[in-house]
Amino acid sequence: MQDNVILSFEDLDIRFTLRGQVLNAIRGISLDVYRGESLAIVGESGSGKSVLTKSAMGLLDANGSIAGGHIWYDDKDLAAFKTEKEWLTIRGREIAMVMQDPMTSLNPLKTVGAQILEAVQLHQGLRGPEAKAAAVQALADVGIPDPQARYKQYPHEFSGGMRQRVVIAIAMACRPKILICDEPTTALDVTIQAQILDLIRTLQKKLDLTTIYITHDLGVVANVADRIAVMYAGDIVEVGSCDEVFYDPRHPYTWALLSSLPQLGVKGEDLYSIQGTPPNLFYEVKGDAFAPRNPKALKIDFVKRPPYFDVSPTHKARTWLLDPRAPKVEPPEHVYKLRERGGVGYV
Amino acid sequence: MAKYILKRVLRASVTLFIIITILFSLLRLMPIEGYFDNFDKVSSTEIQVKLNSLGLNDPLPKQLGRFYNQLLHGDLGTSNIYRRGVSINTIIAEKIPISVKFGLISFALSLVMGLALGIWMAYSTRTRFKIGDRLGTVLIVVVQAVPAAVYHIVIQFVGSQYAGIPMLFDEARPISYLLPILSLSIGNTAYYAMWLRRYMVDEANKDYVLLARAKGVPSGAISRRHVFRNAMVPLVQYIPGSILSTLMGSLYVESLYSIPGMGGLLVTAIKRQDNTLVQALVLIYAVVSILGLLFGDIMMAIVDPRISLAKKEGSR
Repeated sequence: MQDNVILSFEDLDIRFTLRGQVLNAIRGISLDVYRGESLAIVGESGSGKSVLTKSAMGLLDANGSIAGGHIWYDDKDLAAFKTEKEWLTIRGREIAMVMQDPMTSLNPLKTVGAQILEAVQLHQGLRGPEAKAAAVQALADVGIPDPQARYKQYPHEFSGGMRQRVVIAIAMACRPKILICDEPTTALDVTIQAQILDLIRTLQKKLDLTTIYITHDLGVVANVADRIAVMYAGDIVEVGSCDEVFYDPRHPYTWALLSSLPQLGVKGEDLYSIQGTPPNLFYEVKGDAFAPRNPKALKIDFVKRPPYFDVSPTHKARTWLLDPRAPKVEPPEHVYKLRERGGVGYV
Repeated sequence: MAKYILKRVLRASVTLFIIITILFSLLRLMPIEGYFDNFDKVSSTEIQVKLNSLGLNDPLPKQLGRFYNQLLHGDLGTSNIYRRGVSINTIIAEKIPISVKFGLISFALSLVMGLALGIWMAYSTRTRFKIGDRLGTVLIVVVQAVPAAVYHIVIQFVGSQYAGIPMLFDEARPISYLLPILSLSIGNTAYYAMWLRRYMVDEANKDYVLLARAKGVPSGAISRRHVFRNAMVPLVQYIPGSILSTLMGSLYVESLYSIPGMGGLLVTAIKRQDNTLVQALVLIYAVVSILGLLFGDIMMAIVDPRISLAKKEGSR
């Protein structure tokens, strides 16, 4: 593992057993996360974004398991962890998580103070008044006014945005090195979304964090991410810097995803939407998983799974189109208009 | 909170006033034969004398007024038939302690056993074969589906035939307490286990539990601090009612083991038309039910900060 890589997925396979059937949720993913960067994992619902990150914290549902591959962190293979004791050395302490819905991710019957205190006691080793002071400070750090009084309040006395700040305060109180933000703004008002993203960015700089965002909101991605990994059907089909993926996309699925952006719509016409549905992961996927929905798919796309082709040292995509023998297939023209249309972000 | 409780108590008093008035008026419609052991042989003058002495010939409002006056002085009246001339306070004071004793012991037992079984079942849903959950479900279904009378008799029969425990209650022999307590607690045990299991499974699947795991809380602490605590909230509401209802005793279990408690008293009083005893007992039952509900609501407000009795009282 290179020095600047903090977390590395290597040929990871994750399976779920549902009513005796096996679902291949993650199919051979390799991905490096660099120290201090912001990585965004994008993809539609069910593409395996959350499963991938949960696997790094040992939080897969009971019927899910790592069937192959490795998750490297600090020279330890997290994929080989079996006991809760092993995972407790990672959860919170090394990797913390902010979840999607702040309305349900706090215990309604405990004061927010007590919930932050739990993290402080576990990970900062403080007790008594010192621990309490640290918890109050954690509230202040995430921009909650009057933290002394707020400490004693219950989650229902907070607004959605404020609760998400509390969730972030809990994650920060663990003093993690990696912060996973699983759709951190999906359940919030647009005005609050920007504030929460700002907060995470500020904390990241201050505490030298690595952040992994999971989202299907490309606007969020453009705002916060250094790099993007595009997921489809349990696989990463394209990964590169923000600019590379947005302005020089190579995988047909990335083209389709960007084409669905409202910025690229033509006035008076319907917005673009991708035809068909993702493959059923209960069956083995043959070739390129996106081929059946890709009108310009090559014959080989249905037969053989493409390897990764490097576009640049930082940009690679899993498509036969990048093979030197492949015929020239141009992406939809409008994809290249993204830059002149003002990019993806909404800021 | 104090204001809310005061309001509820006042409202409860109005409810009680209505219950007593209706009950008292209805009982006055009962045939007067019930007041005499040998009505046919008594002359009509004697009848009138007796009715006068009982105050039954006065107009209804006057009788009611007298009854309320008595109640305010803590006097439930005097028995007419059941134990003629004995104060009802005395009769009840003799019978209540034994019912309460049995009731409280079996309540405590069912709480301990029910919660333990519920926790075990909830825990077992996460294991591979769910053995605890399956066994517990069998027990709960049997207890719920078989009529209480049947399993009471089975307990009495098995206990006395095979374990050599006395079949009937005998105050001098502590071992004879065992079977009635078992009979009394088994229904509630199943009830607590069923609901605690259900609420714990519900809570364990909530997002905040995932967040607690993500911040590194060990699973044992999550079960205790988060899941169990939250799952108890809906159950807590029933606890005061369960404790208070021990005052009333159990009709079936007490007669099965011939325990001289409160259980059969109301039925006997109604059968023998002892009207003053009937009205006293119904009054006690009504107070117990109303207080049970009130204390249940107060308990809920104590354990669940989202419930604010003081402010949202109007919406109830």
